[in-house]
Amino acid sequence: MIKGFAGRVLELDLGARTFAFKPLDEAIARLYLGGKGYGTRLLYDLTQPGIDPLGPENPLIFATGPLNGSLAPQSNRFAVVCKSPLTGGIGSSACGGSFAFGLKKAGIDVVVVQGRSELPVRVEIDGDADAVRFLDASELWGLGTEATQKALGKGMHHAVIGPAGENKVLYAGIVSDARIAGRCGVGAVMGSKGLKALSAQGTRKLEMEDEAGFKKYTQWVRQVFKGHPVLGEKLRRFGTLGIVNTTNGRNMLPTRNFQAGHHPDAMGLSGEYLEDHGLVGVRSSCLHCPVACGREVEVPGAGRVKGPEYETAGMMGTNLGITDLALVNRWNWMADDLGLDTISLGVTLGFAMELQERGMLATGLAFGNPEGVAEMIDAIAHRRGLGDELAEGTRRMSRKFGGKEFAMHVKGLELSAYDPRGSFAQGVEYATTNRGGCHVQGASMYFESTGPLTINPQNLKLKAEIPVVQQNLACAVNSMVLCVFTTYGLVPRHVHALKPGGWMHRLARVLFENSGPAYRLIMGAKLFQATWLDTWLSRVTGMRFTPGHLQEIGARIFNLERMYNLREGLTGADDTLPDRILNEPLFKHMTSGHPLAELLPRYYEIRGWDAHGVPLPRTLKRLKVRV
Amino acid sequence: MTVTVELTYDMAKLLGTRAIPLEGPRTVGEALRAARDRFGDQGAAYDRMAEVAAVAVNGVLVAHRREGVRLADGDRVTFVKTAAGG
Repeated sequence: MIKGFAGRVLELDLGARTFAFKPLDEAIARLYLGGKGYGTRLLYDLTQPGIDPLGPENPLIFATGPLNGSLAPQSNRFAVVCKSPLTGGIGSSACGGSFAFGLKKAGIDVVVVQGRSELPVRVEIDGDADAVRFLDASELWGLGTEATQKALGKGMHHAVIGPAGENKVLYAGIVSDARIAGRCGVGAVMGSKGLKALSAQGTRKLEMEDEAGFKKYTQWVRQVFKGHPVLGEKLRRFGTLGIVNTTNGRNMLPTRNFQAGHHPDAMGLSGEYLEDHGLVGVRSSCLHCPVACGREVEVPGAGRVKGPEYETAGMMGTNLGITDLALVNRWNWMADDLGLDTISLGVTLGFAMELQERGMLATGLAFGNPEGVAEMIDAIAHRRGLGDELAEGTRRMSRKFGGKEFAMHVKGLELSAYDPRGSFAQGVEYATTNRGGCHVQGASMYFESTGPLTINPQNLKLKAEIPVVQQNLACAVNSMVLCVFTTYGLVPRHVHALKPGGWMHRLARVLFENSGPAYRLIMGAKLFQATWLDTWLSRVTGMRFTPGHLQEIGARIFNLERMYNLREGLTGADDTLPDRILNEPLFKHMTSGHPLAELLPRYYEIRGWDAHGVPLPRTLKRLKVRV
Repeated sequence: MTVTVELTYDMAKLLGTRAIPLEGPRTVGEALRAARDRFGDQGAAYDRMAEVAAVAVNGVLVAHRREGVRLADGDRVTFVKTAAGG
């Protein structure tokens, strides 16, 4: 077995209440690593086209990767893969917390959950005893994620759902500690199986090829992270809320359902504001993470709880016309406890507010008015009244009540809190990402508009190249499985030190913006180890990795996801953006919206796809994607 | 003609205001100087923080050529942190 992998896949059948340990497929692991890559390969191979995402035939796959259990910074994450009930295409989501660590210590790389239990069930995995217990979860059913984990105790590491997952809200997530695999409705799939919690423990040690070298190198990386302007300073000090002022200043902070990109009072939602008003602590619920971007806030009646992330502040703050951090703190806590994705939730609430504003549906919700929001969040999670409609997400609501032109989703997945009219590469990424409109499948915005180089985000230069490189990299990172923040450290501190008005900054920006094919060539080079990502993988597995290998593996995963989506009936026509983004100008100099039509052909060409967005046979052959 | 200069959080905290409405400036340079003049003795602190921030007009960075960029009525001149993770 390749070092870094435990070598076992656990298959659970909830209907029959049986389990089996199977050997990890080494050939798949070599091609796809673990995590999202391995999970996607399994999903493709295990399922027939057209299955019901909420039916027993949709496997729910929990997958770790070769770096989990290694104590590498930010290596505490696991991936969840299934067919998404929200999009009908590939569903994948990643989560921090401690479950990945527990699973790997139990000597398991991947858990495949099949079937459906008629009664609520929870599963305990004792890796040392090779024992799996199916236990009655009736008493836990209905509890929030916090109470559920408290009831389960600290002896094991858990992945649980809240009421939203139980009620199959299409954007319900899976929670581990205070972190959530929020996107694509993976929690609804878990709920459809009657599975309340999956818990794992063990004492197995991860085998590495070069443990001493890995530890020494990791110590150096930790020092780099500590001294890095984003990982060691901004994220550490302000959390992800530190981005609010930047996106607001750049007119790309979604406001009133993306009707604007700036809110004059958004500063009240920022990490800087939180530091001065209401921050009660820093809580890193991610094991081995030196960044500790989690914030603790006080919510009356709930106590000290995890504070909101940037996405939550954007989508449940300014996107709803709200800039009162105390309200967002409370709604965020509710969503986490109920097991809801705050991005999809915020966009859906914003959509409901605009329906009300236009007189298309009496939702009782209004921009800038917190009245009724908390009640609606609870109603969504329990599918009560109108909450049952909002539980279906923005796309389905727009089909039923109208408003397609301002339904802010791609492929059914609601957009994140970066308006792509101020970040063209991010728009291409949203449009083409296989799971739908999400920012963490590439984070292109960091390389054009929110990071240190600040190229012009509103011309066509590099706007097709950046998403390809970043999507590939994110696929690889989500298969190791690491946090995407690890990649932010790849931009050296010297670049951050450049003064924005200086000639060095200007030169660096011009060189980057005009690098074109050279950029892809450099990123795809297989000459030597150049980053901690490929160095860690090499030292743990004993296989040779370079940045080029990561690009190749990522492209393989991305193309397999694409083939899965095509098999499920999605087409190139789904590579689009909401009408509002395409047609409505957001900036004074704009006459229209995002120029996706000009960028998509170039993106397809770089990907090796035909004009309809279908991977060419030679592309699949080159990448060894078997379909 | 009215334009508004918006400060970063750190600047706002130190200088006691988030946004400065100004009458008359026709370029970014004029707006930034007029904003600085509002702070009297604290002008040096304003300069130190302004130096490491980018400048956007209505959300579009103007960076190195900011001094000469012409403004229109209602424009928003914003200091922006150049990098934020998340």
